[in-house]
Amino acid sequence: MRTYIKAALTAVVATLTSTAAMADALQDIKDAGKIVVGVKQDYKPWGYLTSDGQLQGLEIDLAKDVAERLGVEVELVPVVASNRMEFLQQGRIDLIIATMGDNPQRREVIGMIEPNYYAGGTNVLAPKAAGLENWEDLKGADVCALQGSYYNKRVTQLYGPNLVAFAGIPEATAALLNGSCVAFLYDNTWIESQLASDAQWAEFEMPFPTEDPQAWSIAVPLEELDQPYGKLMSEIVTDWHKSGYLIERNAANGIAPSPFLQAEHDRLK
Amino acid sequence: MTMYCLHQKPKVRGHMPVMLPMRLRADGLPLADRLFNLWTLTALVLALAAVLIGPAFAQLATPDERTILTILLEWTPTLAKGFGFNVLISVLSMLIGTIMGVFLGVLQVSQIRPIRQSAWLVTQFFRNSPWLVLLFYCILLIPFQFEVFGVKVPFPGWIKAVIGLSLPVMAYTSEFMRGAILSIPTGQWESAESLGFSRRMTLTNIILPQTVKRVLPSWMNLYAVLTMATPLVSIIGVDDVMALTRAALSAEGRADLLIPMYLYILSWFFLYCYPISSLTRVLERKYSVKL
Repeated sequence: MRTYIKAALTAVVATLTSTAAMADALQDIKDAGKIVVGVKQDYKPWGYLTSDGQLQGLEIDLAKDVAERLGVEVELVPVVASNRMEFLQQGRIDLIIATMGDNPQRREVIGMIEPNYYAGGTNVLAPKAAGLENWEDLKGADVCALQGSYYNKRVTQLYGPNLVAFAGIPEATAALLNGSCVAFLYDNTWIESQLASDAQWAEFEMPFPTEDPQAWSIAVPLEELDQPYGKLMSEIVTDWHKSGYLIERNAANGIAPSPFLQAEHDRLK
Repeated sequence: MTMYCLHQKPKVRGHMPVMLPMRLRADGLPLADRLFNLWTLTALVLALAAVLIGPAFAQLATPDERTILTILLEWTPTLAKGFGFNVLISVLSMLIGTIMGVFLGVLQVSQIRPIRQSAWLVTQFFRNSPWLVLLFYCILLIPFQFEVFGVKVPFPGWIKAVIGLSLPVMAYTSEFMRGAILSIPTGQWESAESLGFSRRMTLTNIILPQTVKRVLPSWMNLYAVLTMATPLVSIIGVDDVMALTRAALSAEGRADLLIPMYLYILSWFFLYCYPISSLTRVLERKYSVKL
């Protein structure tokens, strides 16, 4: 029902806004002299805010690179999971580079660019003292998680933890540190980079094999997927993999090496 | 009931005390009955100090870590920009909401039944809807840009938030106005009519000016409540102080920063709303009904 209402509202908005001819989005961007990219501002180190108010991170680098290749300015718009697809459909942004997982439901709504530019999986961050060894150990345990994460449902069904969902990473990690839960269920790439870079996690580990790999995609409006704009984006992502640009930016932003990036690099080379 | 009392101080000689309205002096209220008072301020300052200074001592062991105070100061300019946004949104919502609310309030006492009833319905609808739901509707239903004569006029999220928040303000102001208008003795309407004033003139020249002082204290309280409700807009993707605080917290990635930083932001709201609340009390005292 909720998705139905959402779809209906989106349709209303779409008819209201689509008065301008959607002839050629690529030409529109070039005419405007800027590309508007939706990025995360609360997902360090992929997209985050510095204390002087600038956005930074791997995905910000990617957004800037897209703009450079098109020869236009870049305008970054902070988005969250709940509004990024609406912004794209409304035309508020031209492109999503915001840690968005690629899945069939989303493919019906927006244009997911192939190849995928990144991939993450599900794991937990837990104190070494908890002695967790495999996923089944979570049964009945209090596990911190984030509201609206796609893996919450799957993990609950498979392993039966008692999920405590928080609104943001700081709240969830604070709960983990003060012992309100035995583990924090999250993305393995994030956990790996935290463990590698932050002293407060010295007594913590990522105990399980990573599960349920999810590829991330950048996205354009659905109707642009087969147009010059979508095709060009696909070429750019391919080149990112081929040239090793993604691997290089990944390391430059202090993220643990990603097997996915290496595999894509080898495949497309 | 006489009219001459409007512009000059009446002589109370000869009035029977029983006819005088009860005087509720704001300064007569016990200190503890006011939300914002010196005690809550002191408690806040002490809490902030405890949170800021406590960990500072604990951190002496690891000198390379920045202290919480340093981090807060570092983020202050960015957060201040966000707070300015909250203030801007609250001022604009209040302005738009008040203008619409005064009209709606006057319509609520219209002599024409359908107008009165529909104004009542609109008022009740927006007064009893959750603010967040109204915000969601505004964000989703209003397009992000309009085309006026081929020129694209952008319509950013924060303007939609202003519209969304002005709706409840409108409804509350409408109720304040209705109450204030009805609280003015009906004798004044009759006197005005006998002096040849039309209904509209009576309203604009006699009744509405008198409602100002009756409405003002509750109206200012509404403003303080509205300001404290502006962090709601962070949920719908407007980059206000709350959204920036969250971004700052995840950028720093330090769990011990959570409570000090939220407390820091809370103190900003307090420092902004406290003078408004004090001023409300002063005005209440100044305008406390004298006949």
